[in-house]
Amino acid sequence: MTNEQPIATGVPAEVIAGEIDTLGITHVVCVPDSFQRTLIARWQAGGGPHFVGVCTEDEGMGVNAGLYMGGQNPMMCIQNNGVFASINTLKAIALDAKVPTFIMVGQFQRDVNKTIEEQSSRAVRMLEPTLDSWGVPYWRIENPGDIGVLKIAYERAWADKGPAVVIIGAPTL
Amino acid sequence: MERQEAIDILAEGRHGAISVPTMQSVFPWHEAGQGDMLNVDASQCMGSASTIGLGLALAQPSRKVMVLDGDGSLLMQLGSLVTVAAAKVNNFYHFVFANGLNQSTGNQPLPGQGMFDWVALATASGYKHALRIEDAEDLLEQLPSIWKLEGPVLIELSIAREEGPARWAGVPMAKQVASVREQLAAS
Repeated sequence: MTNEQPIATGVPAEVIAGEIDTLGITHVVCVPDSFQRTLIARWQAGGGPHFVGVCTEDEGMGVNAGLYMGGQNPMMCIQNNGVFASINTLKAIALDAKVPTFIMVGQFQRDVNKTIEEQSSRAVRMLEPTLDSWGVPYWRIENPGDIGVLKIAYERAWADKGPAVVIIGAPTL
Repeated sequence: MERQEAIDILAEGRHGAISVPTMQSVFPWHEAGQGDMLNVDASQCMGSASTIGLGLALAQPSRKVMVLDGDGSLLMQLGSLVTVAAAKVNNFYHFVFANGLNQSTGNQPLPGQGMFDWVALATASGYKHALRIEDAEDLLEQLPSIWKLEGPVLIELSIAREEGPARWAGVPMAKQVASVREQLAAS
């Protein structure tokens, strides 16, 4: 028997969705992520931002940019592997073309009982160093008390006209 | 048809559509005077023209959006055909300049050139309409009726091989992004 306590605990989807609503988000551009499964289901059920499903994260960066140019207030919802898959469009669109790109990234395969540094998954361990290497600011949601970072990251994306990431460290509830 | 012929016809028949050219269509599009008004070049992100256009089409449903894509570019984000179709954007017009080559990098043949079919791919992906136009006269004749079709529409343009170095307009995408957003906000 172990007394191991989780380091990261999930946040109810309703809580995150409510916070996103307060930011005035008009569209969620999404490639599915298991850590945000309940949140995605909440958005797909309707009543909140328009849900735009895309096939890849590269596509998501383009759609996000087009929506922004068209006067909308979009965001993206992806997983850690999607960040690695879309570095070229992150570079060209979010960074170089100066498009506010607010992204929630699920830490797919993260063991919630271990710190990030202790993770066996390379994808989990390398997400933050990858963002660091591109100068992309990020914040962690490890527990419900971290919900305020959504607003901070969103405002940073618009202030910088660039990417800002919130990392979801445990499956949403 | 020659690329320049197609560009000139589309420029003449644009009628205020938002435009998203990419790769070797960018320079002649600018040369044809289309670079300043409601235009953003999909630069440094080969393959992204279709999805940038999709975002614009979703954001501005009362305006037509024309994407001037390349066949090599579209192959890089081929799944975007399905994404566009799923979004049911009836104001989306996808012109694919098809020369069977990666022209910007030295006219290397595309993988599978001659084995795939853009019209079939678009139709199978769920586009409302898809057609192939072989020559400039047909494009000139058909363009008015294309604009009347409900989107998404894919128009494959058969483009002749061009020689010579790649040409670039060199306008920073950031400047265009800001300009398009301002123009649309003011309109």
